[in-house]
Amino acid sequence: MTSQTSSKDRFPFPKEVQIPSELNGWEEMYPKYFLFGTTPEREKFENGTLWLQDKLHAAEPIYPLDLLLQDAWQTAISASTTRFWCIPMAQGWYHRVLGCSFYATPAFYLPPEDVMKEKAEIFAKRVMGFFFKEYGPEMFESWRNNIKKVGEKIKSLEIPGELPKFEPDEMVFPDPSSWVSSGYKVLDAFYRLVSLMYEAWHFHRELGPAYLASIVFSDFCKKLFPNITGTIITKMIAGVKVEMFRPQEELARLAKLALSSPDVAKILKNDLSVQQKLEELDKSGTGKKWLDEYNKAQDPWFYVSCGSGWFHHEGCWLTNPDVPFEYLKGYIKTLEEGKEIERPFDELDKARKELVEGYRKLITNEEDRKGFDELYDIVRRVYPYTENHIFWCEHYIHSLWFMKMKEIANVIVKYGVLEEPNDLFLFNWYEIPILIYDLYMIWSQGEGIPLSENWKEKAKKRRQIMEAAKKWSSPPMLGVPPKVIPDPFVIMNYGVTDETVQGWLKGSTVVLEDITELKGHPASPGVVEGYAKVVTSLDEITQVQMDDILVCRYTNPAWAPVFTKIKAAVSDLGGLLTHAAIVSREYGITAVVGTGNATAVIKTGDLIKVDGDRGIVTIIKKAA
Amino acid sequence: MEDKDKKKWIYRLEELTKEYNDIVGKKCANLGELTRAGFRVPYGFALGLDAYEMFMKETGALEEVKKYFLSFKGDPENTADLSKWQEASEVTRGIIESKSMPPSMADTILSYYEELCGKARIQDCPVATRSAGAASHPGQYESFLYVRGGEEVLRNIIKVWGSTLNQRSLVNRAKGNYSVEYDPIGVVVLQMINSKSAGVILTLNPSNGDRSVITIEGSFGLGEAVVSGKVTPDRWMVNKVLLEIMEKYISNDKHFQYTCDSEKKLVTIELPSELRNTPCLNEGEIKELVKIANKIEEHYGCPQDIEWAIDKEIPFPENLFIVQTRPETIWSKKQQKSVLDKKSSLDLLMERATTPIKVK
Repeated sequence: MTSQTSSKDRFPFPKEVQIPSELNGWEEMYPKYFLFGTTPEREKFENGTLWLQDKLHAAEPIYPLDLLLQDAWQTAISASTTRFWCIPMAQGWYHRVLGCSFYATPAFYLPPEDVMKEKAEIFAKRVMGFFFKEYGPEMFESWRNNIKKVGEKIKSLEIPGELPKFEPDEMVFPDPSSWVSSGYKVLDAFYRLVSLMYEAWHFHRELGPAYLASIVFSDFCKKLFPNITGTIITKMIAGVKVEMFRPQEELARLAKLALSSPDVAKILKNDLSVQQKLEELDKSGTGKKWLDEYNKAQDPWFYVSCGSGWFHHEGCWLTNPDVPFEYLKGYIKTLEEGKEIERPFDELDKARKELVEGYRKLITNEEDRKGFDELYDIVRRVYPYTENHIFWCEHYIHSLWFMKMKEIANVIVKYGVLEEPNDLFLFNWYEIPILIYDLYMIWSQGEGIPLSENWKEKAKKRRQIMEAAKKWSSPPMLGVPPKVIPDPFVIMNYGVTDETVQGWLKGSTVVLEDITELKGHPASPGVVEGYAKVVTSLDEITQVQMDDILVCRYTNPAWAPVFTKIKAAVSDLGGLLTHAAIVSREYGITAVVGTGNATAVIKTGDLIKVDGDRGIVTIIKKAA
Repeated sequence: MEDKDKKKWIYRLEELTKEYNDIVGKKCANLGELTRAGFRVPYGFALGLDAYEMFMKETGALEEVKKYFLSFKGDPENTADLSKWQEASEVTRGIIESKSMPPSMADTILSYYEELCGKARIQDCPVATRSAGAASHPGQYESFLYVRGGEEVLRNIIKVWGSTLNQRSLVNRAKGNYSVEYDPIGVVVLQMINSKSAGVILTLNPSNGDRSVITIEGSFGLGEAVVSGKVTPDRWMVNKVLLEIMEKYISNDKHFQYTCDSEKKLVTIELPSELRNTPCLNEGEIKELVKIANKIEEHYGCPQDIEWAIDKEIPFPENLFIVQTRPETIWSKKQQKSVLDKKSSLDLLMERATTPIKVK
C-alpha cells in the first residue's frame, strides 16, 4: 500500500497530515471538541466532508483563547440557520483545529427530506413572511442599539487593578454586607466575558437570510443580463455609508479640522511620539478644540482593529494610537497637496442609483421588471446587516473584549503567575478559570502558598509551539470535495463554488515556485503593471510606498488610508463583497481578490500585472 | 422648386420622419428621423418612390421593359433558366440606363445636389447613391459610392433604379408573382464620409441577447469592408450602462481598406502589416459611439443595428457620423419572454432556500 495523501479526487484526511514534531503537545491547548477524530463516528463524519483552512477568520495559527471567538460563531450562526430562521437545506458550521491551524466548514450534506419540509414551513413564515417583508432601517437601528448594549456590558465589567495585600477600607465601611473578594471578582469577570462573547455573536443571525436574498437577486440579474458581472451587482446593492468605513472617515474629518489651524497640523505632522503630540496639543486653544473632537471620535470608532479583529495581539486604534496618528500625518500631507481624501458620498450614491436605473430601464418584460424591483427592495433592506456587522462584532465587540481580557491578564502577571499579559491567550477558556482559581486560592489562603501548576513553564512551552506553527504551512484543504453546496454563507464569504473547488483540487499538486499566473475574483476593474509589496503583518503596512501593488492575505479597514498610495491590490482571500474589493472600487484602484495563495507565490519586488477585468494576476519578472 | 400642382417626389433628409417609410423607403425615412432628432448624419436628400415611377413613365422605359417581358419566357424555379434571367436583366437594365433623366427632374435633382455641395462646402461633393425599399430587403439592390458632379449623380440614380432589374430581383419577383418589370424604390443621395474607420453597432450582445451590452465592429476605411465581410473587423463589447469596455478583440486580419484616392475616386488599398493589427478606434471614440448608440436606441425604443463612420479630417467628436440605423430583429422578438416565467420574486427566494447547488 502506498500513501494516499496526494490522491487527485480528494485532499488529505486529517490523520494523514504530517504535523512537525516541534508542534508536539498542540492538542492539549484546545478544547477537545476542536480536535479531529475524537470518536470513530466523528472521524467517519469528518472524512466524508470538505474542510477549509479558514484564513478569512484566522489568517495565522490560532491562540487558544482567541479560539473562543471562533467557537462563538460556530454555534450562534449555526443555530440561527438551523433552529431559528430554519433555512431548509442549510446545516450549520463545524470548526476544528489541526496543528494550531483553524479549519471551518459548512455541512456539505442535506438534512433528511422530512426535516427540510418542516423547516420550509417555518422558513416561509419567519423569513419569507417576516424578515424579507418587515426588515428595514428601524429594525437595523434596534439591532445596533442591542449590540451596543452588549458592548456596554463588557465595558462596565469592573476588574480590580490587582489582588491587594489587604482589601481596602471602602469594602468594609460603612456596610460590609456586599463584600465579595477581589479574587472572586477577577474570576467572575472572566466568566462574564466568556458568556458575553457567546452572546455577542448572536448578532450574526441576520447574515444567512441576507446572503440568500443577495444571491437570488444576483442570479436573477445574471439571467436578465448574461454579461452582468459580480462587481456591477455588488455596486447596485452595496451601501455607501457603511459603518466599517467610519473610522477612516473620522480620521479624514480630523485631518481637515487640523488643517484649518496650522499649529495643530504642524504638531500632527512632526516626528514626536503620540504622547508628546497629545501634550503639545493640550497647550493651545485650537489644540484643545481639536483634542475634543479627537476624543469624541474614539467611542466607538477607534475600537477598529489594527488587524482582522480576530487576534489578541493585533490591538485597535485605542491601544495602538500610533496607527491613527500615522494615518493622520499622511492625510494632512495629502490634503496639503490639494488632493481629496474623503469618499464622495453623494456622488457614490448618485452613481449607484443611476446604475440601477440604467439596468432597470433595459428590462423589457414588465413582470421581470416588477421582480427586479421587489428583489432589489428586499436586498437593500437586509443588506446593511452584512455590511455593518463587521464593524460592530469583529471590531467593536472584539476589541472591547480583548482590552478587558488584558486587564485580567495584568492582574495575573502582577501576582507573578504568568510572565506577560499576552501569555494568558496561550490558555483556552476552560483552562483559564482553573488558572484564575489557582491564583484566587493561593491569594486567599495567605502567604507563601504554592500554585497547583507551573503556569509559566506551561506558557513557555506553548509559546514555542505557536512559533513553530507559524513556520508550518498546513494544508489549505482536507477531506473530500462536496457534492452539494447548501449554505448561502459559504458561497458569499468563501467563494466556494463548483468551479473553485475543482481549481483547488488542481492547484494542490502544483509547486508554488512554478506558478506565474493566479486566478481570483475581478474585484475592481483595470489592468495595471507594477512592483509587488507583500504585506503579511501590521508592521509592514506602513512600509508601503507610492505606486506599490499591495499583495496581502486579506485587507482590513484599518488599512484603508494606504489605498490612497497604492496602484493595485491583490489578496489571498475574499470575494466581491470584501473590504479590499469595496475600497478598491471606490478609490478606482485595480484589484483581484481571493487568489488563494498570492502572498506565498508573489515576492516583494516581483514585477506583476494585475488584470482586474478578468481577475488574473501574472508574474512578469521575479525579483532578483 | 417643383411645380406646386405636382406631387412632391424629392426631400431634404431633415424633411423626413419614420412616417415617410412608404413614400421614400425605410433607409431614407430613418436617416431623416435621425437628422431631425439631432444625430450627426451626413448631408443628403431622398428621391421618393414616385420619382422612380415618374422616370419610368416619362422616359418610356417602363413600356419598353414591359414589352420585352411580353416575349420573355423563363421559369424562375428552374435553375437551368437562370442564364435567361441574367440576359433579361442585362437587356432591361440597359434600357433604363440608356435613358436620360427627364429635364424637369434633372433640374430639381441638380439644385438639391448643389445645395448639398454648398452645405458640405465641397465642390462636386462625393456622394453615395443608395437604394431604399419600402420593405426591408438589405443587399438586394445596389449602391454606388464616391459619385461626383451633377451629371454623375443623375446617372447613378438611374443605375440604382436599374438595379431593381438585377437578376436575383427579377427571379424573386417572378417567384412571388409580383410584376416583374417594376419595383418602385426610394434613393438616398448622401454625402460620402471620407472615413478613417467605419463599421456597425448592435445595441445588444448578438450571442446572448444581453441588452446591457453594445457591440461595435469596425475596420479602417469605408464601412463596406465590414458590412461585406471582406475583412475580419475589430470588436468591442461595451457595457451600455457604465460605458465601460468589457471585452475587446483586435483583429490581425484587416488586410485592406476601401478609401478614396487624390482624385476622390474609390480605391482598394492593401493595409501595411503594422496597421492590420492596430485597433481602428481609440477609447474616446468608442465611448462617444456608445453614447450615440444609446441615444438612438432610446429614441426608437428598441435595439438598433447602426452603421457609423469617422471622418479623417474633421476634429473629434464632430467627426462621428451615423449613416444608417434599423431595428434589430432577432433577439428583440425573443426577449418578450419573461425570465421569471410566471413565478414571483418570492418564489425565487423560496426555491433558492430549498434547492442546493449540485457540484459536478
